[in-house]
Amino acid sequence: MQNQRNLILAVVLCALLLFGWDSAISYFYPHANKPVVAAASPSPAAGANGAAPTREGGLMNAADRAAEVRDLKSALAAPGRIAIQAPGLSGSINPAGALLDDLVTVRHKNVELNGPERIFSPVGTPAEHYAQIGWDGQNVEIPAPNTLWTAPAGAKLTPETPVTLTWTNAAGLVFEITYAIDKDYMITANAKVANRGTAPVTVTPFARIGRTKKTASLDTWNIHSGPFGAFDGKVSFDTNYDDMAELPGAIQVNEGKTDWIGFTDIYWMSALIPGSPTASSNYRAIGGDLYQANMFYRPVAVAPGQSAGTSTRLFAGAKEGDVLSAYQKTGIANFSLAIDWGWFRWFEEPIFWLLKKLFSLAGNFGVAIILLTLIVRGIMFPIAQRQFASMAAMKAIQPKMKALQERYKDDKQKLQQETMALYKSEGVNPLGGCLPIFLQIPVFFALYKVLTLAVEMRHQPFVLWIKDLSAPDPAHILNAFGLLPFDVPSFLAIGVLAVLLGVTMWLQFKLNPSSPDPVQQQVFAIMPWLMMFIMAPFAAGLLIYWITSNVLTIAQQKYLYARHPQMKAMVDKERADVAAAKKAAK
Amino acid sequence: MKRLLILIARGWQLGPSRILPPTCRYSPSCSQYAIEALEKHGAFRGGLLAIKRLLRCHPWGGHGHDPVP
Repeated sequence: MQNQRNLILAVVLCALLLFGWDSAISYFYPHANKPVVAAASPSPAAGANGAAPTREGGLMNAADRAAEVRDLKSALAAPGRIAIQAPGLSGSINPAGALLDDLVTVRHKNVELNGPERIFSPVGTPAEHYAQIGWDGQNVEIPAPNTLWTAPAGAKLTPETPVTLTWTNAAGLVFEITYAIDKDYMITANAKVANRGTAPVTVTPFARIGRTKKTASLDTWNIHSGPFGAFDGKVSFDTNYDDMAELPGAIQVNEGKTDWIGFTDIYWMSALIPGSPTASSNYRAIGGDLYQANMFYRPVAVAPGQSAGTSTRLFAGAKEGDVLSAYQKTGIANFSLAIDWGWFRWFEEPIFWLLKKLFSLAGNFGVAIILLTLIVRGIMFPIAQRQFASMAAMKAIQPKMKALQERYKDDKQKLQQETMALYKSEGVNPLGGCLPIFLQIPVFFALYKVLTLAVEMRHQPFVLWIKDLSAPDPAHILNAFGLLPFDVPSFLAIGVLAVLLGVTMWLQFKLNPSSPDPVQQQVFAIMPWLMMFIMAPFAAGLLIYWITSNVLTIAQQKYLYARHPQMKAMVDKERADVAAAKKAAK
Repeated sequence: MKRLLILIARGWQLGPSRILPPTCRYSPSCSQYAIEALEKHGAFRGGLLAIKRLLRCHPWGGHGHDPVP
């Protein structure tokens, strides 16, 4: 009877876990990006505005996507655009407003569009995202957003050739913006006003990034997507798109010295870096899903015959760790912290570093993860070996243990104390201690973070059907790997990797000495299959780590059993005892 | 702070510790030790004691009865 009640309880708990866990985990540990569906057909459901953002970011609803393709084509066909061609970025400068509004990353692909990943898109397109260098001023004619600037004929922005755009107003003020680009994601804008008129003027130089939130990636409790910046040397991830709209005047003035300011997605970001420490900044929601990050310099008086200039840098591209660190070395405070590692950065970054080193050795991130597992298990091996040796020693004191268990079978507390005392007097201890477990949890968590956060892991293939280690296993078993025409509900979306995880875990548990506690026995029997469901939606790379770890543990146990044959005999006997006890209970 | 740390230790006892095989070499266990240390000595000293205990809790460390000082 007791047994039956336990069983029912276990089943109910499992069901609860299965369904409850799915929703809880998708809140606490946001899933890796859903595998990209080739050729998204405009289904009626996707036409609504309700589609949830993905980790990749980008336009979600089909109408917007179609409009983006159309609008982008017509916007980029406008005459006079100045081409940008660099190793990291390519695109064009819009002569109307001297805007940077067409930038794609050369090194990162968008699988869905089968082209480069687009960072900037012109004003008015659904994926609007641009940077503007400008001036404010009273009683002075300043360049308007549609002012047509002139560039030298045949100008092209490359790392070797900067481009200067000019515009002269009716009063003889010459505005000049010189754009220069490097081999990664940085564009430097030197803006200058020369007063060739007769009256002194005062202008306020500014720089702005404007974007829509429609293309924002998933914003979760541990990875921020939204406005962000560094102020007084501290990176702030606290501002959200939705909070912004509720602020009075939909404006948030940033306190402290602005080190840099902009917008981030999980993999991409755009940021302005002021050339002066006195620049101030704010975020604004201007309605219609549009947001701005603004940076203002001090107003500057320009007397006739004089000129005044400011230098602003614009980062637009992928958050590659090495690139950000290199920029930080040029004096941009905390730029590498633009990657939202969280409080555990001190451990995540070394793991990431190791993974990148292994990648450069192996040439495949999947293999690198397996090598990482080998290293971790290699470090743990002496611990396991030691643990085994003391387990063998345990065998020697087995009779004494039996006697104790007999004597104190009604007083668990006392039994535990006496057992400890016996261990001490005999100089053995069968248990490995808490530390070995605690050592492995951080590695696992760090790998989870790296897989969800690092653009370097995005779209990294392993072997066979695994094309993206940072996405869940796409080979769903329940619809026969996509052969059957239905989508599997998320909590049943078990891939081949998840099954391998369950099986290897089950095998591993089978090799452990069986526990005398019946509750624990049940836990061990259920856990592998429970973990199969729980881990299925996680990044494939994480499952590869766990499976490899299980396989190595199994190999290690086999090896140790071979070296200590008496242990094998003991474990077998114990298991037989437990089975016999079970039978007797029935 | 103290309460939060105790809560973490309690969470460990009720969650993962239930599922994992019993591993602690000491009595009281690391988590119980942490709770007692935190209650007796506060967040800082208690936390430090708990960390030191965790660092001893491996196959080369000591074992047996090891109460909070």
